[in-house]
Amino acid sequence: MTTELTATPSPVTAPPVVGAAPPTPRARRRWSGGTIVLWLILTVLIIAPVGCFILLATSPRLFNQGSQYFTLAYIEQTLRGSTLRGILNSLWVSSVVAVLAVSIATTLAWLVQRTNVWGRRVWPFLMWVLLLVPTWMMTLGWGDLLQPYGAASAAGINTHFLYGEFFGPTGIIIVLTTAAVPFAYFIVAAGLQGLGSEFEDAARIHGAGRLAVLRTVLPIVAPALLSALAISFAETMSDFGVAFTLGYHSNFPMATYALFNAISNYPANFSVAAVIAIVLIASTIPPIMLQSRVTRRRSYAVLSGRTRIARRHELRPWARVGATMGIGLVFFVGLGGPLLGSVLGSFVKNLGIYSSGVHLTTAYYTQVLHPSIADKSLGSPLVLSNQLGVVVATATGVLGFFLARRLVSNVGGWGQRVTDVFLLGSVAVPGVVLGVGYIFFYNLGLIAHDLINLYKTLPLLMLALVANSLPGQTRFMAGPVAQLQPSLGDAARVHGATRWRAWRTTSLPLVSRVLLWGWLLTFTKTIAELAIVQILYPPSQEPASVSIQSYLGNYELGTGTAMTVITMVEMLLVIGLALALYRALAPRGWRRIGWTGVES
Amino acid sequence: MLRGAAATCVVASLGLVATNVGASPKATGPTLVVYSAQGYDKAAVAAFNKTNPGFNVTLNDNSTGPLLQQIQAEGHNPKWGILWVDGATAFAALDQQHMLATHIVPKANFNAVGKANIPADGSYVPVSMTATGALVYDSAQIKPSQLPKTWAQLATSKYAHDLGMNDPTQSGPTYPLIAGLMNYLGHYKSGSTASAIKAGEAYLAKLKRLGLVINATNGPTIGAIQAHTIKMAIVQSSAGYGQEISSLPSLRVAYLTPVTALPGVIGIDRLMPQAVQNEARKFVAWVLSPAGQHVMKTGDPQGDSLFWPVLNGESASNKVIPPIASVPMQTINPYVWGPLETSINNWFTANVNNG
Repeated sequence: MTTELTATPSPVTAPPVVGAAPPTPRARRRWSGGTIVLWLILTVLIIAPVGCFILLATSPRLFNQGSQYFTLAYIEQTLRGSTLRGILNSLWVSSVVAVLAVSIATTLAWLVQRTNVWGRRVWPFLMWVLLLVPTWMMTLGWGDLLQPYGAASAAGINTHFLYGEFFGPTGIIIVLTTAAVPFAYFIVAAGLQGLGSEFEDAARIHGAGRLAVLRTVLPIVAPALLSALAISFAETMSDFGVAFTLGYHSNFPMATYALFNAISNYPANFSVAAVIAIVLIASTIPPIMLQSRVTRRRSYAVLSGRTRIARRHELRPWARVGATMGIGLVFFVGLGGPLLGSVLGSFVKNLGIYSSGVHLTTAYYTQVLHPSIADKSLGSPLVLSNQLGVVVATATGVLGFFLARRLVSNVGGWGQRVTDVFLLGSVAVPGVVLGVGYIFFYNLGLIAHDLINLYKTLPLLMLALVANSLPGQTRFMAGPVAQLQPSLGDAARVHGATRWRAWRTTSLPLVSRVLLWGWLLTFTKTIAELAIVQILYPPSQEPASVSIQSYLGNYELGTGTAMTVITMVEMLLVIGLALALYRALAPRGWRRIGWTGVES
Repeated sequence: MLRGAAATCVVASLGLVATNVGASPKATGPTLVVYSAQGYDKAAVAAFNKTNPGFNVTLNDNSTGPLLQQIQAEGHNPKWGILWVDGATAFAALDQQHMLATHIVPKANFNAVGKANIPADGSYVPVSMTATGALVYDSAQIKPSQLPKTWAQLATSKYAHDLGMNDPTQSGPTYPLIAGLMNYLGHYKSGSTASAIKAGEAYLAKLKRLGLVINATNGPTIGAIQAHTIKMAIVQSSAGYGQEISSLPSLRVAYLTPVTALPGVIGIDRLMPQAVQNEARKFVAWVLSPAGQHVMKTGDPQGDSLFWPVLNGESASNKVIPPIASVPMQTINPYVWGPLETSINNWFTANVNNG
């Protein structure tokens, strides 16, 4: 079976970016004022700070970090020993994780959309929650659960074997895969949504078995699968939480840990860290190129006015139970286990300490209010983190939407490919690189003395947090934005609407929930962010993640865990509040159609 | 109606948040920023501001690693006015790069240990003292009479798989411990450190062969004792005392001869304007005053407050801490051992941690 050959890629089956709406005449103007402003913003947010950092790879003297204006010595120094091992480990782990995440996400999306599996409304919601949980919280929770004399042990379950396995490559791959699944899921689910049952039916009519049907149908959503592979790969490459915890404890070096290690000694070796950062960014080029190459060879347009809603397969009872349990297992690994570990752990006295019995306590929660370290309560840091979250999520949402529109209005061109590589490369940049890059750029005499002195202020921290969230947010929004038909806005304009009114009455209702969930994603990511915040927070204005870290680092694990639980509960309350507000404020029509490109 | 009211609330809240978050603390006069990794630093800065009207000292509270990273990245355009962390090696390196103001030591009644840790050019000030390389053990697992008496005895098969320590690339106090071991085992006095390093490396390699367990920091290392994975560990004294008085009463601290002095040290940024440097000197003098020492001893009672004072007439904050005279303490030269930190840590990573 061959796919329909048309000149226009589909807006729905295509992943974010590739396969967006046809270019409009306005989009063909390569260097419009809007494009220039957008790239200026990106320069200020990402390109200049990260550029300063990676310049150190060959020119440490430029920033007074060495004596050479040009040297290749640090490249050679990076590509050997444990640093090289870390890079190679990250590459193969990220590849395995990307394949596993896309396979699991595709299976889940198919089960939820195409079968009568139980909990079809619950699983996508939980997928959102999974997307919001950072890997370090996941690891911390599993650690609390499985460690000797930990939460599971307190419940009478022997976890010795599991603990040994978890703190090794197996655990690393499991945690990173569960963290990457939501990224892949939302892309693949959007692709499957536009795929009617007629392709499966056609294959079956021609005598295909189940495998043959899969072989026929899956290539149709290849752009979505490749896009999901690329984002899963990039997210995994940049992850630091798992590399620092599970990777370190199991003597399994990874690239982000090697980068951290290069700058954790004094004097820090920023040049080696810069070479590793370049490798991380460059590693995202092959997936993008592969995606681009595959999608250029043929069209994947399958959505038309005749596309029918897919029929659900009625699973047999045992298969239905098995499929539901399988999905439940994925969420138990990603959410249930860590949540159980953290919550139980915060109520067990002296967690992890050899003892004859289990003693429950609420003392750690009391200590959150009355801290053992003077003046270090969670109250005002959490308020500040929430304020930061609101501002950063709002700014990122606005910028991300405009950037996504630019991205999808230039399909197939070099501009789009460069933007795509830039965005995915930025996803692969660890927070510490962005944080230190911000110091190098914004603390330059030229900037700080002659232009604007922002270093160690809240506005600069906000800029860095926006920069950290923007690439992921843009790629996240690009899919739904690509599905907006320009004709809707044009029709509104023809009827006399201003540009703003046209957008508000046609596009906004269609993407309203995407904007809401994107906002929540950035909000929670901002509250949980540590690496950037630790480097750039203004003196005496400490956000929650830094406070929690100071307790965990001081081996006050009970208090630190209780603070983590309170922060997670608070984040969930904000999510609930935001959804309730949407329900209260959004017109009924928005709520019915605002799911474009995203399901829940 | 309801929708309109709710929308107004949302817009008003967003505006309020944006206004609040954009506002900085009220600043009058020069702004001294303290970069500190001490548990009691927030209490100290708050107390100083309270008792010194007109001052607005602010705090960057972080681990030692991120603080030094920031100082290095800031380069010739620094924001820090004071650096306050444990261990003198980083200060020696900063002094060698001419980044510290000199002769900043205020008049104070230093005791012998305090005096031994003041550099000749007065570029940093010891304000507290702990020991690194303290033998922290679980008395429920191993009796005091069964403990090794010397460093040589510790590296015998009798204690195979019983011992743990931290990773020097992750734990600030651990490099001074390793440097101290090399200093002692190589009988280092002056000149080349090559033979001392060799002796220390051989010793650590032997410990590794005997099943030395490496964890990142004090937390997991003492956690390994608490979980009965190991029986004892060589760490910073305050970490042992902290757990003894909180979560594990059977934990005890012993001292092999010698352990290495790990002073809590303050240095002042030479590139700051004179007004800020003057403010910093006042802050240092306050830290060494009875009021400052009181805040240090009460601000983090289960952690960094468990130090020995470096001033005559001051006593430790908790009875669990023995008199400093009873602790066999050596002081290493930070100007000799400081510059070797990266190469020795790299050796440790390759041969002990990953070996």
